[in-house]
Amino acid sequence: MENVIELQNVTKSFKGFQVKDLSIAVKKGFVTGFIGGNGAGKSTTIKLIMNLLKQDSGSISVFGLTHETNERAIKERIGFVYDENIFYENLTLKDMKKIIRPAYQQWDDAIFQKYINQFELPLNKKIKTFSKGMKMKASLAIALSHQAELIIMDEPTSGLDPVFRRELLNILHELMQDGDKTIFFSTHITTDLDRIADYIIFLNDGEHVFTKEFYKIQEDYAIVKGPLDLLDADTEQEFVAVQKSNIGFEGLTGNKERIESLFGESVVLEKPTLEDIMYYTKKGGRLNG
Amino acid sequence: MVNLIWKDILIQKRQIPIYLGIIILCFWEDGVPLWWLAFITSISFIMNAFYYDEKDNINILLNSLPYTRKQIVISKYLGALVFTGLFIGVIMGGGFIINGMELSFSWKDILHTFGLIMAFLSIIFPFFYKFKQQYLMIGAMVLFVVAVFAFRIVMQIFNEQFDKVFQWLASLPELQLYSFTALVILLLYSASWLLSMRIYERKVF
Repeated sequence: MENVIELQNVTKSFKGFQVKDLSIAVKKGFVTGFIGGNGAGKSTTIKLIMNLLKQDSGSISVFGLTHETNERAIKERIGFVYDENIFYENLTLKDMKKIIRPAYQQWDDAIFQKYINQFELPLNKKIKTFSKGMKMKASLAIALSHQAELIIMDEPTSGLDPVFRRELLNILHELMQDGDKTIFFSTHITTDLDRIADYIIFLNDGEHVFTKEFYKIQEDYAIVKGPLDLLDADTEQEFVAVQKSNIGFEGLTGNKERIESLFGESVVLEKPTLEDIMYYTKKGGRLNG
Repeated sequence: MVNLIWKDILIQKRQIPIYLGIIILCFWEDGVPLWWLAFITSISFIMNAFYYDEKDNINILLNSLPYTRKQIVISKYLGALVFTGLFIGVIMGGGFIINGMELSFSWKDILHTFGLIMAFLSIIFPFFYKFKQQYLMIGAMVLFVVAVFAFRIVMQIFNEQFDKVFQWLASLPELQLYSFTALVILLLYSASWLLSMRIYERKVF
């Protein structure tokens, strides 16, 4: 299967934070959700992919091309949505369109107008009067109006009301009907991913924890609940992390089958949410599964 | 690239009446040399465009669009010349009409304006690219004070040598003097351009 984005052994250090030896791939024609807590390195990774940051070491390719030699060709094919405002506050959306349109060879005014109508965005009001959600919608309208093959979004759903969040997911879903498109987006509202994601890439503290097919996560991982006497120094190693209370323990495992064979009927297994996985991984510091 | 230059005009379209107002006002004030007026309006326009880009995270937008960093820097350096040309054109045209169909702008005035703008931007642009907006004002003031003192000290030490250079310059025929100055400024502008490009290519957003 073809990879649209490939990072190999990418390292980027800042004061007090680093992305360490990151190797991830985003597959063409699928929706990949990019999860991790605050400060896990999601935005840094996205900025590296967009060439807003340069890696200290390792290689990054997009569409099989690198920014060193094909920066414009790559960006021509990407639609982007960021978490922060990137428009001139004192201009109208109409003016912003005038600035952005000539940058793309394949800009399509009819599509842009369609999204403007659908999102009910005012063309003649200054951007600074826009709410966070409206700015995000404006970004999205622009990202979708130039036949981009790859849509990259950094926390697009944060700051959106639930109604529009669902609407956004529907739009993305529609977009994916055309099999050539790829969507890569970071989020910490993990329930968004239930509806749409094919793959999940999970980052914790600047390190790649896993890339898995969405359904596979629930096959591998489980929340385990049981009495405290089952836990000792050895069995505790089987968990990503455990939480103990007076009545028993609750833990996350990345190897459901092993837990089943180890404890059998004496524990209860539940399906974990992505949030459970993020929470326990953060708590445990490292994954072994 | 043309898009990026056009963008700098578009983002200031609401300020254009203000620039025109200032120009018209200055026509009534006899004391203001027109080349100085062209210098001030062009510089304000160029710096203002730069300020807007910094203020609103526009570098993130521009660098995510299909532009290279080289193009973004080149457009600023070329745009500066285009805008200066436009302001000179407007002031010349305005003077032509108001002062009764008389050309009030000599080719020397035009050269002075371009020369000043290019010399000024050669120094300012790399600083703009290197430092964040909030440090620039403080930086500019410190730089100004340092420059004044440094100039005095250098002048004192190399007094004789400078005298010789100035004498040599003064002895040049006018055409040679202008060509020489033009060459120096062009070199300075190109060097500044290369330096800004290097700075900007290494920048992170």
